[in-house]
Amino acid sequence: MPGRRSAGPSPVPPRHPRGRPAAPAAAVSAAAVSALCVAAVALAGCRAEAPGGPAVVTFPGSAVGAEAVVLRRQLERFMEARPDIRVISRPTPDAADQRHQLYVQWLNAGASTPDILQLDVVWTPEFAAAGWILPLDRFAPDTAAFFPATIAANRWDGTLFALPWFVDVGMLYWRTDLLDAAPRSFAEVERAVARHVGATAPPDTAGGPVPRYGFVWQGARYEGLVTVFQEIAGGFGGRILDERGRVAVDEEPAIRALTWMRDAVAGGAGPRVSPRTTLTWHEEEARFAFQNGQALLMRNWPYAVSLLATDPDSRVRGHFAIAPMPAAPGGEPTAALGGSQLAINARTEHPEAAWAVLEYLTRPEQMLERAALVGQYPTREVLYGEPELAEALGVDPAPVREIIARARPRPVSPVYTQLSEILQIRLHRALTGQAEPADALADAAREMRAFLRKVGLAPDGEGPDGG
Amino acid sequence: MADRPGPAAGTAPPRGGAIEAREARLAWGLVLPALATVLLVALFPLAWTVWESLHLHDLRMPWLGRPFVGLGNYAEALGDPRFLQAMGHTLLFTVATVALELGLGLVLALALNRAYRGRGLVRAAVLIPWAIPTVVAALLWRFMFDAEAGIVNAVAMGAGFMDRPFVWFVEAGAAWVPVILSDVWKMTPFVALLLLAGLQNIDASLYEAARIDGASAWRQFRHVTLPLLKPAILVALIFRTLDAFRVFDLIYVLTGGGPGTSTEPIALYTFNSLLQNLRFGYGSALSVLVFLVTFGLALLYIRFLGADLLGGGE
Repeated sequence: MPGRRSAGPSPVPPRHPRGRPAAPAAAVSAAAVSALCVAAVALAGCRAEAPGGPAVVTFPGSAVGAEAVVLRRQLERFMEARPDIRVISRPTPDAADQRHQLYVQWLNAGASTPDILQLDVVWTPEFAAAGWILPLDRFAPDTAAFFPATIAANRWDGTLFALPWFVDVGMLYWRTDLLDAAPRSFAEVERAVARHVGATAPPDTAGGPVPRYGFVWQGARYEGLVTVFQEIAGGFGGRILDERGRVAVDEEPAIRALTWMRDAVAGGAGPRVSPRTTLTWHEEEARFAFQNGQALLMRNWPYAVSLLATDPDSRVRGHFAIAPMPAAPGGEPTAALGGSQLAINARTEHPEAAWAVLEYLTRPEQMLERAALVGQYPTREVLYGEPELAEALGVDPAPVREIIARARPRPVSPVYTQLSEILQIRLHRALTGQAEPADALADAAREMRAFLRKVGLAPDGEGPDGG
Repeated sequence: MADRPGPAAGTAPPRGGAIEAREARLAWGLVLPALATVLLVALFPLAWTVWESLHLHDLRMPWLGRPFVGLGNYAEALGDPRFLQAMGHTLLFTVATVALELGLGLVLALALNRAYRGRGLVRAAVLIPWAIPTVVAALLWRFMFDAEAGIVNAVAMGAGFMDRPFVWFVEAGAAWVPVILSDVWKMTPFVALLLLAGLQNIDASLYEAARIDGASAWRQFRHVTLPLLKPAILVALIFRTLDAFRVFDLIYVLTGGGPGTSTEPIALYTFNSLLQNLRFGYGSALSVLVFLVTFGLALLYIRFLGADLLGGGE
């Protein structure tokens, strides 16, 4: 069973003497790099931390782009307000899996820095179960002000381990110059694509460019594919794990969902519902296609709204809107919940100072500033009633709010990353025609059950044969 | 034995003992730093990896501890379809690329060996693909095979071979085409260069003699060039086989091992297990298996071809 202990010193013995190789051959260079970082920061920390000086906390974050700018600005304001605390930024990769890998190496090594961690929503249970992050309940955060789903996703075993910083949800972007209303069912998606894409499409439109593609989404073999699948499966009434944590991905609704996705990219004689190339796409490729007016429908996160609405290069300015994802009878429109969370390293030497930073960064003003500068949606539900948010985003946040309110976290499991990898491979095999959807999901379910059993996380109801 | 005076006991004859013992000590002293370095950077990590591979050690799940599981990780690997498929993919890639590179490299070397004006320039130009960093080359090929903007689809559609863009990277079979082509494009010049060096070592008078005896061009190639080129071919073969077996960066950039896992080589799977999923125990077991296979390949080459390679034999 997973160590549900959470508070206090981590159960992991320090296993990482600095400067000496302490990892297997292939990992030596990576470990050495992180050891160097740890050493370098520790040195910097030592120098800055003269007796009686300010408490120094390290904050890892994006090193480039508008995100780095807004973070630096907010941290500087924070340090002006709190001269007793100094925040040092540590640049970390933007790619989620690389960041995850670095964090896990640091935390395994028992590093006390970075003091604050910026977590993807699906990592909170993993880090909490490992005893790597502090429970936050003792700081009495005002959880009632946040969207309930974002708080639920950051609880493990009933305890809050991270504060939601900004929120992401999957939603449907559609072309208002071509369609009268957003398609609400998968059948309507098919009809809309058949009517507006390909040879039979009317040549002249009300202003926007004629799309070449129907419905574009994130179909490359990575985490994004799992979120799209979760949303379409939800639309059919399916899910990955059930509420008791049992694997449910091989049930009928999930199979119907994957079959629909497969048929969308396989296509018959007519134009495909989704282009085959979407199976190599991440968020940005899909956004480019939609922004250039090449796609009729797109599944993406909210960040694209401001870009599509304000980017001078956007060819769909004024020609698009967002809506919940479609659903079939028996399912409901489903949005996967994403976004970033802030948590505190369990080994930090300055928990109070770290909490002060967390509390500051998740205040309404900072969230509004992030919305204005990087288009990220606040996790505080109350802000959506304020005119300032609409002003900051440049668009009406009400439709996004509705979708967030109904968003579902991905399976809350400390081994989510492994479950997701199993699923990614099987989904991609089915979508690229290497396996039938039912077989692919049966394989995925078998593998997921075996893995959960092996690590002692199989729920009680799961039979010995995983049936 | 360890108690006997003199460090190199048993190897040096006792005559003139003092000086030789001193020289032996000096020799050991001189070699020691090198030995220590080898021990530290080669043997120690290897031994550590083997030791790690005998444990269940998953950084993501510290609550499992780090129990000793004997050969459990190896048993898991041998029963893991993804591992076996990755081995199969690696074999396919190795055989296909090495065969093509040797064939094309030989043709290229023969052409470069002719005397003509501007030969030096052409020789240098041929090496350009090889000089491009693998990641850059892989990106180049990915753009060329891009479904929408790639030149390959544009040419094929222009020539009427296809009526809608073909998405190379989502077809389990077709995804191999850019993978193998890019490696052949990149590494053939290297093979050609090795073979060219071999060709230039062949005495021109042998061809003269063959011509006087009335041997056709084919017979000259078959009975003069090939036998004398054998050592160079073997060197190229060893280099390319061992390299191809460990292919990683090219495929990581081009296909990421996809679609699904249908182009995933063993090095990529090992990287995934070890550094992406941080399964140190299992990933180390995979590393050891890869090491054993490459080591075995190297031994085979040395055993069967080493005599030629070292210039001894026949």
